[in-house]
Amino acid sequence: MHNLQANTLRLYLTCIRNTLEAAMCLQNFPCQEVERHNKPEVELKTSPELLLNPVLICRNEAEKCLIETSINSIRISMKVKQADELENILAKKFLRFLSMRAEAFQVLRRKPVQGYDISFLITNYHCEDMHKHKLIDFIVQFMEDIDKEISELKLSVNTRGRLVATEFLKQFI
Amino acid sequence: MACFRRASPALMEILNKLDSVEKPTDTDHNLYEFGSVRYHVQASASDPEIIYLSISTPPLSPEVLLRNGLPDCTLQDVRRGYCDIADIVEPPKEGFVLTLRLDFAKLPQSRDRIKAISKISSLQAVIQSSQLKDMLWNLGSQDMAYGMCKPIKLVYHPREPFFVIRMPEKLKAIFPMRFKDNSDVILATSLFQELMDMGHSTAFTKAPHCTWSPIPPPELRGEPFEYLTTNGGFVSFDILSHHVKGAKADRTVWILLNFYAHVKYYVKCTRGFIHRKMRQRLESLAEVMQNARIREGRDDKKLQDPGCKCVKKLMRFSKSNILKRRCSAIANQIKRIRARIRIKGLDRFRRQWFRVPKFPSLKKYSKLD
Repeated sequence: MHNLQANTLRLYLTCIRNTLEAAMCLQNFPCQEVERHNKPEVELKTSPELLLNPVLICRNEAEKCLIETSINSIRISMKVKQADELENILAKKFLRFLSMRAEAFQVLRRKPVQGYDISFLITNYHCEDMHKHKLIDFIVQFMEDIDKEISELKLSVNTRGRLVATEFLKQFI
Repeated sequence: MACFRRASPALMEILNKLDSVEKPTDTDHNLYEFGSVRYHVQASASDPEIIYLSISTPPLSPEVLLRNGLPDCTLQDVRRGYCDIADIVEPPKEGFVLTLRLDFAKLPQSRDRIKAISKISSLQAVIQSSQLKDMLWNLGSQDMAYGMCKPIKLVYHPREPFFVIRMPEKLKAIFPMRFKDNSDVILATSLFQELMDMGHSTAFTKAPHCTWSPIPPPELRGEPFEYLTTNGGFVSFDILSHHVKGAKADRTVWILLNFYAHVKYYVKCTRGFIHRKMRQRLESLAEVMQNARIREGRDDKKLQDPGCKCVKKLMRFSKSNILKRRCSAIANQIKRIRARIRIKGLDRFRRQWFRVPKFPSLKKYSKLD
């Protein structure tokens, strides 16, 4: 069961990596509507000729990744696995924590796209400042780390609860 | 956390100060705690060993009004507990339920003195525990229905009532749990699940049986709706006779009185723990992002594996070269500025006082003897 899950995760991440490698061909493109403005076209969506078809990669009903590309920017939105209420609040807290500190990541969006838990916005300027393959590595590693961190947090919270319950009941003995 | 300790820390500090004061003065302290407990400490310069301590605490059960002061059983418990160091003053000071006349001359010396002062500071805990014990043991038979007494509502912390029901073989304490935030509800619920699981284990057969349910238990049927609306469910403890035998009675009663505080403290600490872990993970993720940057200079191509020792050495060498070049440029500029005006005879002065500092080389080291 564990091997099966690990395999599906590997396939999922490989699919995302390959899609990003194909999609992350960005170039500078000034705004067609406003002079001397340069905006990420994937956010505006005003010129359909500048947008590519969005790609939705689903691992299962709960986990999916939406990759929207345009000529000068790419937006990656993720829905993270949340098996129960505790994972739900931990994922919500953690991703909100990261989104509030988006300046530390530069490519992280402060507000996720509706229907998703977290979103990234990569522009041509980011591709000029950073290595493309490392950006993709970061996105993929981020997804793995989020899952791992939420699982670890859940385990830690349950362990703490058990310890506190033990100490509380010991007082009666 | 202050509310878990039986002794009031503020009262203990005041009594310790009065005990160790060098020059006795007239003292009058009014102290408020937890929004509902009030203390009054009075000492006179003419008789510094005698201190009057008055306390006003709300009744544990709102149905029992303390019109005539504390019940007799509570006064007896206080007399028994403080007989060697204090006397009850009757009637108590106006606005207070109890006034004690403390005689510091009767206090033991050294370490036991501190224990005695701590015992005096636990007056509120003694009063509340005594009231709860009295209620639990003296429930009237006319309140019995279906083999159990009517639930008694008790309020220890403001706005956090809990219920105690006396049954033929046990006492049941039911805590309606309410939280402000939905995430607090989930964290607390995980604690209640663990309490239930641990209670069922063989190691804790002697501990009170704990149950949690999202809906009001049948024992609370008939209670007002406002007491039965919760978002955290209901936690129940079955207290048996061996939990309240002898000295265990005080401990059990104190734990029950502070159950809400325990849960709230656990939730607060867990939130802090989650934040700490998130901050640590943020740092590690941000580091990965920093490594993705394209670095300036020729050295970035060689720095594919910064973990390698020879590459680290190369980094240090190139960095030190750059630093050396910059320092020598600054030093040359300083020399040029200072050497513009040359006055005869002042060379020696200039050499001594306008010496340009030499920057140490990063490659060399000075051996310490």
